[in-house]
Amino acid sequence: MYLWQATTSFCLLASAALPTVAASAWGFTDATVAVQPKGAGINGGFKEQISSSKPLANPLVFTGADTLRITLTTQEDSSAKRPHQAFLLLKDSQSGLDISYPFTVKENGKSRVELTQKELPLQFLTLPNPVDARVVIGGFGSSEAYDHSVFKLAIERDVNIPIPTAEAPRYGKLPEIHHTFNNDPTNPPIVITLAFVGAVIAALPVLAGLWLFLGVNLNHLPTALKSAPLPHAIFLASLTGFEGIFFLYYTSWNLFQVLPAAAVVGAVAFVSGSRALGEVQGRRFAGLR
Amino acid sequence: MKWCLSLLLCCFLAAVNALSSSGSRLLVVLDESTEKSAYSTLWSDLEGRGYDLSFESPKSDSLSLFEHGERAYDHLLILPPKSKGLGPNLTPKNVLDFLNKDGNIILALSGKSSTSSAISSLLLEVDVHLSNDRSAVVVDHFNYDTISATEKHDVLLLNRPGPLRPDVKAFFDGEGVLALPRVAPQTLGNTSPLISPILRAPETAYAYNTKEEIPAADDIEATGSQLNIVSALQSRNSARFTILGSVEALEDKWFSATVKTPGGKKTTTANREFAKQLTAWTFKETGVLKVDKIEHHLATNGEVSVDDLNPKIYRIKNETFFSIEMSEYVYDKWVPFEVPAGDELQLEFTMLSPFHRLALQPTGKTETSTIYSAQFVTPDQHGIFSFRVNYKRPFLTNVEEKHEVTVRHFAHDEYPRSWAISAGWVWIAGLWSVIGGFLAFVVVWLYSAPVADKIKKTQ
Repeated sequence: MYLWQATTSFCLLASAALPTVAASAWGFTDATVAVQPKGAGINGGFKEQISSSKPLANPLVFTGADTLRITLTTQEDSSAKRPHQAFLLLKDSQSGLDISYPFTVKENGKSRVELTQKELPLQFLTLPNPVDARVVIGGFGSSEAYDHSVFKLAIERDVNIPIPTAEAPRYGKLPEIHHTFNNDPTNPPIVITLAFVGAVIAALPVLAGLWLFLGVNLNHLPTALKSAPLPHAIFLASLTGFEGIFFLYYTSWNLFQVLPAAAVVGAVAFVSGSRALGEVQGRRFAGLR
Repeated sequence: MKWCLSLLLCCFLAAVNALSSSGSRLLVVLDESTEKSAYSTLWSDLEGRGYDLSFESPKSDSLSLFEHGERAYDHLLILPPKSKGLGPNLTPKNVLDFLNKDGNIILALSGKSSTSSAISSLLLEVDVHLSNDRSAVVVDHFNYDTISATEKHDVLLLNRPGPLRPDVKAFFDGEGVLALPRVAPQTLGNTSPLISPILRAPETAYAYNTKEEIPAADDIEATGSQLNIVSALQSRNSARFTILGSVEALEDKWFSATVKTPGGKKTTTANREFAKQLTAWTFKETGVLKVDKIEHHLATNGEVSVDDLNPKIYRIKNETFFSIEMSEYVYDKWVPFEVPAGDELQLEFTMLSPFHRLALQPTGKTETSTIYSAQFVTPDQHGIFSFRVNYKRPFLTNVEEKHEVTVRHFAHDEYPRSWAISAGWVWIAGLWSVIGGFLAFVVVWLYSAPVADKIKKTQ
């Protein structure tokens, strides 16, 4: 009976003691957060109580000249005590950036931290979303440390004030580059080209017409062919041949093919030309032209 | 008999050298021989992977990193000395010379006692900073081992690190937790792309000097993930220098310790596996790249003959094909190198600055290498260009290839002919009409008779 009583009382004691050991935890109370614009008095600006169990519903707006001030009293199991670690931890969940600001803690647990935008790293000033502000309180021993989000902090800054870029050199892939080529040369509209080609070609009939108007004729052709048929035929053929050589040079031949051919045709033209032109001279002496 | 012996020796040498891609001579600098037995598993693991371990005390006179001006060892493992410095043979300059001569170094630190100023100034050379008083230790009240550090919370339990960035290959990841007792934290300079963190402290961690009761708010220099537990430098010659904050993590005791986080379950540490990854990476068993073959030629549909391969000269606006074969060394063999997702192997076609910077796509694979290739049109600018592959990434050895070629103008017979250009038709027509007119004039001049009545009229 006695033993039974002793056991039950021991169990009761143990069951009473165990939760207190498990519940030994860090926390805080009497916490306020204030965002004070520059020049505003002690009570100016935004001020709100924060609780250790539930974060504030709306994000706090923290602009360039503001001072963010958090005061709280740290506790271990509802009794005020100075912890080893009391931090305000700012964390951006998207980029994974984190930074902590230690509270200045007094012996009685009264803690305070002040923060301006100047103290924030550059990377935090350009974040698109509000960052998570957490209070971290912890100490040595078996007490459970405290780490909860207390509010969201929307860091806003004047976009007109330039800040240095936070870019640091890191090895990684670089943007692709594709060479921009010059435009290909273009031709004028084909209609215009054809019109001018027509005008140029039309010069030939105009020339022929003018000559006919002046009474051009081939009356001496039979006379010439009768007195010197071969030189005339060869001379005209060699002149035409010259143009043929030029045509071949334009389309496919190179200079070393052109030069011998031109020498041969030139010699032929020289010999036959002197005969043919001698015949023409003969006609002039005869008073025919 | 002799022949047999030499073959055996060859096989033995091959087996020994098969492991690290850059030699097997490893010097371990530790303070007293008594310390040595605490790390016996590490030594046997390293010997099992083919390293020849030599042990020296930092005070020893015979300790020298160089012999006849050349490296006497391929790798160096420095455990934190109990005495003040590393001695006259391991000055920061000597250690950096060793690094400059392609030697790899692991430097272990310990938060147990303050780090010597010689080590601190060595680390300053590579833009790695220790805390001001050099005797900080990292604590975290959320990720500590409740079994061994119930009171002091200085044995960190962390997951194995994932990739540094989404586009960087993870060399140190895996299952399991790491136990890191008494970490001496490092912070890294921001301006160098050569240093990268391997393992960072969790965001709730902080460092403090154990001699002070409670740190003043002003004394806290860096917190959270800015504290590095393991960090690495890969210099421009691809030599590696790893700084491990907790030397105790390499001890036998922590290779197979049972640990428990607050509110977690009991697990066994993965320190042994992590130590393997860390030493393997530092001593160039992993993350080593090799370029096997580079080919470039004019793009064609069929096979390219040997004569047309790697020409010295190209013309502007040539369709060009470039390919590069890359291998990666993984522990004991070369395997095809795969570019991590989100990253690209890039080809630059440069004359002073890149005209093209294109992603090389994997187009084939051999047993030991991946073939990456790209096809592009040479720019419409003549000059001396070069094909460049400049692949520098954290944790991978640097690949810098430069192959110079000439890019020439169109030759005079490579332009389109004038009749193909419609704008030239007017001139061509003009030329031939002059020729036609000339021939007609010759005929008329030769055979036309004077018009008698008109002459009479004018007379």
